[in-house]
Order: sequence, then structure tokens, then C-alpha cells
Amino acid sequence: MMRFKNDDKSSSKAVLDIRHLSVRLSGEEGPGSLVLDDISLQVHEGETVSLVGESGSGKSVTSLAVMGLLPKGALEVSGGEIDMDGESLLTLTPSQMRTLRGQRMAMIFQEPMTALNPVMRVGDQIAEVLQTHRELSKRDCRDRVLDVMQQVYLPDVARIYGSYPHQLSGGQRQRIMIAMALALEPKLLIADEPTTALDVTTQAQILSLIAELQERHGTAVLFITHDMGVVAEVSHAVHVMKHGKIVEQAPVETLFRHPSEEYTKRLLRSVPSLIPRGARSQESTEPVLEVSDMQKVYSGGGLFLRKPGTHAARDINLTVKRGQTLGIVGESGSGKTTVARSIMRLIDPTSGSIRVAGKEVATLSRRALRPHRKHFQVVFQDPFRSLNPRWTVGRSLVEGPVNFGTPRHEAYERALEMMELVDLPGDALERYPHQFSGGQRQRIAIARAVMMRPDLLVADEAVSALDVSVQAQVLDLLDEVQARLGIAILFITHDLRVAAQICDEVIVMQYGAIVEHGSAREVLSNPRHDYTRMLIGAAPGREWDFANCCELLSA
Amino acid sequence: MLGYIIRRLLAVVPVMIIVALFVFLILRLTPGDPAAILAGDSATPAQLERIRDRLGLNLPLYEQFFQWVRMMFQGDLGVSLISNTPVSTMIGQRIWPTLNIAMLTIFLSVLIAVPMGVLAAWRHRSWVDYAVMSFSVLGFSVPVFVIGYLFIQIFAIELRWLPVQGYTAPTQDLLGFFQRALLPSFTLATIYVALIARMTRASMLDVLGEDYVRTARAKGLREGSILFRHALRNAAVPIMTIIGTGFALLIAGVVVTESVFNIPGVGRLTVDAILARDYPVIQAMILLTAGLYVLVNLLIDISYTIIDPRIRY
Repeated sequence: MMRFKNDDKSSSKAVLDIRHLSVRLSGEEGPGSLVLDDISLQVHEGETVSLVGESGSGKSVTSLAVMGLLPKGALEVSGGEIDMDGESLLTLTPSQMRTLRGQRMAMIFQEPMTALNPVMRVGDQIAEVLQTHRELSKRDCRDRVLDVMQQVYLPDVARIYGSYPHQLSGGQRQRIMIAMALALEPKLLIADEPTTALDVTTQAQILSLIAELQERHGTAVLFITHDMGVVAEVSHAVHVMKHGKIVEQAPVETLFRHPSEEYTKRLLRSVPSLIPRGARSQESTEPVLEVSDMQKVYSGGGLFLRKPGTHAARDINLTVKRGQTLGIVGESGSGKTTVARSIMRLIDPTSGSIRVAGKEVATLSRRALRPHRKHFQVVFQDPFRSLNPRWTVGRSLVEGPVNFGTPRHEAYERALEMMELVDLPGDALERYPHQFSGGQRQRIAIARAVMMRPDLLVADEAVSALDVSVQAQVLDLLDEVQARLGIAILFITHDLRVAAQICDEVIVMQYGAIVEHGSAREVLSNPRHDYTRMLIGAAPGREWDFANCCELLSA
Repeated sequence: MLGYIIRRLLAVVPVMIIVALFVFLILRLTPGDPAAILAGDSATPAQLERIRDRLGLNLPLYEQFFQWVRMMFQGDLGVSLISNTPVSTMIGQRIWPTLNIAMLTIFLSVLIAVPMGVLAAWRHRSWVDYAVMSFSVLGFSVPVFVIGYLFIQIFAIELRWLPVQGYTAPTQDLLGFFQRALLPSFTLATIYVALIARMTRASMLDVLGEDYVRTARAKGLREGSILFRHALRNAAVPIMTIIGTGFALLIAGVVVTESVFNIPGVGRLTVDAILARDYPVIQAMILLTAGLYVLVNLLIDISYTIIDPRIRY
């Protein structure tokens, strides 16, 4: 049973009141320059209001406008009002805004690794907030910081105080961010995708931490996210944004049960369901990838005494047949990427056997491996970084085949076919990666991989950086490519919903070992291992069927 | 960390041996005969031969080399062919003026250039930025001796604020040292100010776009602490690299300035030695410079670990 936050907060005092806010590109006039167009929303004491939308919809610009942090010279407020606690923010001087920031309104960002200063102790980074806004002795300040760190349930606070960000886990880093934001008990907290970069189990902890602190202090929270599951869990009210406008707003349950706008419905429909899709008929039994007893141990170093090594992957056994998709799911550090990289021979497995299309590749030297590389290709997570920005798409595409001896014109012909396969126009070959959207780039990355006519495609978090609607399209594309070319896909993901929608079989990994292996249906609907159950239990909005706007029947 | 420093210091040995061999051979292969220079124009061939014998120049090359290396390991840099004084004494007398001026130069450069670069990055694409960048181009392109003579003309001859030339040791008369060292140091500093300011600006521009700078703003910090506490330290690694290599280059490159300002430093010593084919002095100077480069590089690498806790060796 999905429990929405249905308690009505609209009778409480409005902490944030945005009226008809418009933001435009600096120095430009006319309707085309508007980045935010007539945004109005309110957040009350103790209330969580979500802003959802796809990338570029203006969610983050809204939050930066409230904080007075719009990039100077690039964006500027062109109309409307922002009131906080009855004070009109847009009329304040920069130094008045500065005293409000960190004190009465605070912000948590998406990626705690980059949002924290890497060369400053985390304790000092929290202390800085107190030192800036309060007159405190060194000792009092430290005590206060330790106290706040305890409130966000950081262990061993005295040690963590003196740690640097890279020495902490992702969850701990985000707790530091939250401690920093809440150190002075602000009235308004803006959380900009605060859990997007975290594992599901960590995400669940951070969400409940924010909820608990909000409860205790009556904080108004403006929650920015693209994840409908998270929206369903945390919000009282939801605003859906598209192209700088709010297209629909409603109390949370109303929105999920009776979405009125077509755009909202489309967004909800693209949320992948946790219910695995029906099993596909298995025609082929020919194994393309067979991994047996593979280990990857990172030796512990030490000059004279060998420290015990780290088992990044232990006893890995798996098989992928032609035309089949095997998913490996697990959290960061579970070893799923180690397995993928070992299979790709981007790193060398310590022992065990890897057979690709019948050929043992685990022990081949780099040189001997080269002719076999074309049999396995990879699509990476971030299409913004996996394509050479100074090369045309065509050049990136033909490089591989030409390298393996295909004549250039032939490779080019094939590139044209590939463009058609991934549903891009042929003249895309003459353009550069930055001229495409994220989804298009990922299509190009897939085309580049398939150009080599591989037997095996390894997709390493290949849709994780994409918006849900684009994600759905890319997943469909992978399915189609697989149906047309009969390749086997090894799909690495942390997202159970995605795994449910694309995989025939699923492997769950934890601490470098496989803890559960079975058909997608079995593993996701009837998990046997505790860890799998925990993963599924932590998936936000798991009781809700977003596409059909009702409770999930089988949950 | 200590193990790392020891390994790096041990690595100096092969570097020095290769440099030594290279220098030795190059010097012997270049035309010019120290004996001829020493003996003067009227010397007879027999006299020349005697001088060569005395200097050991008639021995086979490899014997000369091993003899030299053996002496080096005993800490003996040899004796100048021309003045007959020990090379270590000659360098010892001359190194301090050079080092002192070099240090003052780097100090002044950093003091001027880093705030300039930070300011230019902070006010990116404003007139401040353009002014800093224009100055950099100027600092790069005007030759050192032009700047030197220009400074002398303005500050020593027209304004009479500072003496024209010369050198006083800081241990002797600190004020006198600064009076005489300021013009040469500023002269040398122009190019380093240009270089370091540009590097600081570029590095700061990168860092100012980082998420943690936005976090710092969201905390309500003042621009000053954002720039200097949060951003500058993150931008510091490439700046340190430039400063370090700059310092090493300075020692080698002070010849012109020492001539313009008539400073008794190693730059002029080296030039005089080269002109006179004074092999032991040249060899020692080149080895010293090479050693200094290696040492400065090690110091730069160590400074990285202080700036950035993520860097560990």
C-alpha cells in the first residue's frame, strides 16, 4: 500500500512564495530568451514541495533564483517576485542576500563529492557556516559542529570532523552536506536532486533523514528531482515543469492518481515498472559469453609485507546466450563494474576463464587479444564524455571497422545503415557530438558499438544519465538492435526498474560476489536473498504503478 | 612519504651521472683550447704543450673523465684552469647574490601575480581581466635587458630613488641589499608575473566553475573567503608547478640581468668561464644547475601533498 503524504500544510505559514517569476538569458530580449516563464509556487512550514521535470526544464534555475545564485552575466530575473518569510528577496542587496544564505535558507546539491571542497576538512566546512553567520568561540563552534554531525547520524564524529571528503562514503558525504545546510536551522531547505548520485539503500536513509529533520524543525523543503519514485515518497505537493513553465501542480496523491496534463501522463508512463516484463521466447542456446570462476583481486601493496588483497570479484560464473540480455545489479562497490571491465579486458582478471564467442580471452596478451576485441563492444554511462568532442560522429563510427581492415567507404556505408537503425538522420555523421542531445548521443554510442558487428554488447549503466522518457526510448532501441542483430547484451545497472524492463536474467552482486542469479521475474518478484529483498525494499515508490496511476497489485 | 623522498633522492644519482658525462663530452667536442687562451697570443707550441700537460688536458678523455668523477665523489669540484682557485670557492662566492636575487624575484612575482590572476578570474571578461591579460602579453614579449635599462633610466637616473647598479649582501646591510636588489628583481619578475598571473587566472577559472564554489556561495560566505579559502587552494597545484620551474630557470637565466646590473653572481661567472673554456667551472655550474632542478622538482611534488590531501605518494 502506497502511503502518500496527504496531511494538508497549506494552512501553515508560507515560507517561500514565488509569484510569476521569470528568468531570461542575460542581455537578450523576446520570448525565446526566457528560461523560466511565469513560475508561481508556495512552500509552507513543514511542507515538502517537489519540482519535477526533465533536464533543461528549469528546476535548478528556479532554486538558484531563490538562493540568489543565478550565474552572473548568464541568467537574470526579468520579472515576478520571490518572498521568503514575508521579505521580498529580489529587492535585497547582495550582502543582505548573503546573510540570508546558509542562515535562513540553505541548499543541498546532487553530487556531494563535487559539492564539498576536496582540500578542506569536512568539519571545517561545516564550521564555516557558523563562523560566517554567528559570533562563536572556537570551542563552542566545534561543539556545535559535532552536535550537528551527530544529528545527521554520522558515526565517530570526532574522527570524521578531521576527514577530507574523499575519505568518506557517498552517504556520509551527503550527511555532511545536510549537516552543513541545517547547522543554523534554516526556514527553507532546497534539495536539488540530493539522492540521485547515491545507492538505493543510502538514498532511503538520506530521504528519511531529511524527513526526520524537517519534522523536528518544521523546515519548508523545496525538493527538486527527476525521480518519480522519490517524488511519491517525499512530497506533499508536486509541480511538474517543462521548458521553463509549470505545466501541472497538484497535491501528491491527486497528481499520481489523476494526472490531468498529457505531459505529466507521458512522464509517468515512461517510469519503468518494477514488475519484470514477460519472458521472451528463447530460440538460441548458443552461448556468446561464458565466464567461469573468475576472480579479480587487488593486491594490498606494502613494500615488504604483503597486506591481504581486496576481492573485487570472486567466483563469478555466468553465461549469456545469443539474443539474450543478462543484467548485473548491485550498489556501488558491489563489483559489477569490475566484472564488466574484466570481461572487456579493460582490466586483467586474476584468475578464471572468460570465453567470448567460444574463444578464451582471459589469458590472452593485449596483442593477441586485439583481433578479438571487435567481438565485444561497450556502451558507457555518460554519452557526453564517451565520444571524442573534436571528431565528427562519422569519424568516430568508422574508426573501429577501419582499424580492423574494412575499407573506408564500406565502413561509411555501414555507418549510414547504423544511423538508420538508431533512428538518426544520415547527415548526423557530418556533425559533432555537442550538436546532439544526451539521448541522441547515447544512440550514437550504441551505433558506434554495433558498427563492429559484435557478438556481445556490454552496457555499463548505459541509461543511468538519461531522463526517464529518453531512457525508455534507448531501452527500446537496445531491444530492437538486439532483435535485428541477435547480439547478446550484458547490462550493468544499479536501477532495479531498468533491470526489470530489459533483462531476461538478473544477477545480484554484493561485496564482489554473486548473491542471487535467476530469471528477471524470479529475482525481482520473488527474491530469495536478504540483500535482494533489501534492494527492492529500498526502491522508492515501489508500491505504486506509475504508468497506470494506481497501487501495484502484486507488491 | 619518507620512503618516497629517499627514492627520489636516490634517483638524483643516475641523473647527475648522465648530465656529467654529457657535459664533459660536449665541452671537449666544442672548438677552443683553454691552454691557448691561458698562454696568450705570443706563446710557442712548446709552452702550450707544457700548459696542457700541467692541466691534464693531454690525458686520454676517459681518464680525464674518471679523474673528474672521482674528485666529484670526494666533494672536490676541481681547480679553475684560468684563475687557479678552487671551483667550489669561486661558486661559493658567487652563488649567494644569484640565489638572493632569485628568491626576491620569485617572492615579488608571487606577491603580484597571484592576486592579479585571482582578480582577473573573478572579474572574468571585465576590464580588469583584459588589463591583466594585456600586461601578461607585454611581460612575455619585452626582452629582459630592455626592461632592465628602462627601469634604470626611470628609477635610478630620472627619479634617483635607487642606485643604478651593484650588489650588497643582505647579511652586511639589509637596507642596502634591498635598494640594490629591487630593480634587478623587478626586471626579472616581469616575465614571471606574466606567467604566474596567466596560470593563476586559468586555474582559478576552472575552479570557480566547480560545485563546491557554488556550495560556498550557498553557505553565505563572503567573496573573499570563497576566492582565497576555497578556490585558490584548489587552483594551487599548477601555480606551484610554474613557480618551482620558474625558480630553477631563474638561476640558469640570470646572466643578462647580472650583466645589466653588474651583480657578481654565478650567471656572469658561467659566461666568463665559457668564454675562457674554463672546463672545471663550466662543468660544476651545469651539474649544480641540474641538481637544483631535480631538487626544486622534488620540493614541488612534496608541496602538492600539502596543498591537496588527495595526493599521496
